Parts: sequence; structure tokens; C-alpha cells
Amino acid sequence: MMAEQPLWEQIGSSFVQHYYQMFDSDRSQLGSIYIDTSCLTWEGQPYQGKIAIVEKLTSLPFTKIAHSITAQDHQPTPDNCILSMVVGQLKADEDPIMGFHQSFILKNINDAWVCTNDMFRLAIHNFG
Amino acid sequence: MSDGEYDYLIKFLALGDSGVGKTSFLYQYTDGKFNNKFITTVGIDFRERRVIYNSTGSDGTTGRGQKIHLQLWDTAGQERFRSLTTAFFRDAMGFLLLFDLTNEQSFLSIRNWMSQLQIHAYCENPDVVLCGNKCDLGDQRAVSQVEARELAEKYGIQYFETSAASGQNVSEAVDVLLDLIMKRMERCVDKSWIPDGTVRANGPTNPDLSEGSDRGKCSC
Repeated sequence: MMAEQPLWEQIGSSFVQHYYQMFDSDRSQLGSIYIDTSCLTWEGQPYQGKIAIVEKLTSLPFTKIAHSITAQDHQPTPDNCILSMVVGQLKADEDPIMGFHQSFILKNINDAWVCTNDMFRLAIHNFG
Repeated sequence: MSDGEYDYLIKFLALGDSGVGKTSFLYQYTDGKFNNKFITTVGIDFRERRVIYNSTGSDGTTGRGQKIHLQLWDTAGQERFRSLTTAFFRDAMGFLLLFDLTNEQSFLSIRNWMSQLQIHAYCENPDVVLCGNKCDLGDQRAVSQVEARELAEKYGIQYFETSAASGQNVSEAVDVLLDLIMKRMERCVDKSWIPDGTVRANGPTNPDLSEGSDRGKCSC
């Protein structure tokens, strides 16, 4: 057996589980993980602040979405944050399954972990 | 990819709301089958078919049959995550615009798809064929043939009622689109207005389509 996972692995993976579980069940609740200085880059479009981010995420035009995480990596950063990268697949309504990449920076503020940076891209090619 | 022996390579795009049957329509056209199972294609983003086009000369004579390599592109559903960009429309010469006859919203979206086309396609009045798909589901019809025809007339495009399930009018719609494009090309003595890479005369296809590196090699 390996020793206990490093702290950043534990925090990163529980964040990832929490994030996609909320995203798939009720994405309007995602505001709880962002703060007013958080940045989201969604398919190249920038959004800043909890309100703008949640507005973007809730306005995505599908009713059902399911994410499946293929792999995730977590690292401690020099300023005591956690950098997380996720590779997975998603299915929106009845559309074909698509791959995606998402990266997060998590920061501990007042004893709570929040997401300060979030970048999302579909992993599709040849579609412009 | 089959061999490079063809006169023209022409790219078509299938557009329309999610769930109208774009993938099934293209599959019916290229393979003559209806696949009602969920198709997940990894790494293959378009379907292909070879056709022979017999042009009719201005004097009424039929010219030599031209070998056309048709590439039919679909979306992967990425329009739910981001708006389609000009890059998506790149090199597309003709457009199959689909809606679902059993879904009124998909018909209402045609207006929006037409304006997207006017913005992103290689010119403001590209060749488009409108298809009301799922005409086999007569009892669930939500859009009448009359209103669909009226809309098509408003845009000056042809309308077909199609069924990817039975195959009804699928090849007819694609044939009409090909005919429009070939006529458009024939009208132009100087073909330099055609976007780079859209039509290639008798050249091998660049295997790496993701790079768009075939631009500028148009030899027509």
C-alpha cells in the first residue's frame, strides 16, 4: 500500500468530484465555489466574478449534462494554491459524446477552498 | 480516404438544431442505411461519397461525366458550448440546412441558421437546400409543408421533405445542392472567387485537414 495521498491530491480530487457533481445536477449552485475575483475562460471567452461565471454556466443551452472524468492531476503551486487539470468526456442532452479539458486553481481563503481560475475547452478537432 | 482520382473535391456542411437528424441524414446518404443507435465517432469528423456529375453545356449537349468527391461535414454538438466560428464554415461550398418536422423550435431556428450562414459562409448567398427531416413520423408532424415552403421561398432556396429513416428525398436533396454548386462554377469563367481549397481540380486530398494547410493550393 502507498502512503496516504499528499494533501493537494486529496483536496484537488475532492474538489473535482464536487464540481462535476454540482455541474451535472444543478449548475446554478456553482457560485459557491467561486469568488468575485475568480476568472473563467470558457472556450476562449473570458468571464470574471462569481455572478458572471454562474450566469455563463447556467445559460449554456442544454438541459441535461453528464461528465465522466478520465484522468486528473494536481500539484501544489509556489503560493500554496493547488493546480488541477482534468481530462474527461461529456454528453449534453442527446448529442454525441465529446472530450474536454478543464484546469483549475484552488486557493485557501479563510479556511475554505475556492476556485480562483477555471479554463475549459472541448477536445474536438477538425471542427474549427 | 479513397484514391485521389477525382475532378473536384467539394465540401458540404450539414447545419441545424441538435437532434434534427444531421448525422443520420449524412449516414443515410453515404451508406444507404439508417442508424438509430447512438453513433459515437472518434477521429472521423466527416463522411464521404463519390458521385459522377454530368454537366449540361449551354448548347444542350451533355459533357463528360465529372468525378466529384463529396465531403459531408457534421457538427459534433459543439454549438452548445460555443458559437460556431468562421473557421467551422471554412472551405464549405454548399449547405444542407435541416430541421425536424416534428419539432417546431427547430423550424423557428432556421432563420437564425440562415443569418449565421450569411455571416460566416464564403459569400452572402451561398447555395443552401432546406430539408424538413423525419417526414416518416407523419402523426407527430408539427410543421406543415406549406409553411416550410413559404420560408424556403422567402430565402429563395429549395425545400425537401426528407426522412433519414426511410431514405426519402435524401439523395435528391444532396443532388440538387451539388447541381447548384456545379452550375455556379460553370457560370464563373474565372473561378478565382471560390474560396481557396473549396474546390480542387484533380489533386490529392491533404490528409491533415485539421491544419487547413491545403488553402491556397486551388489549381482551378
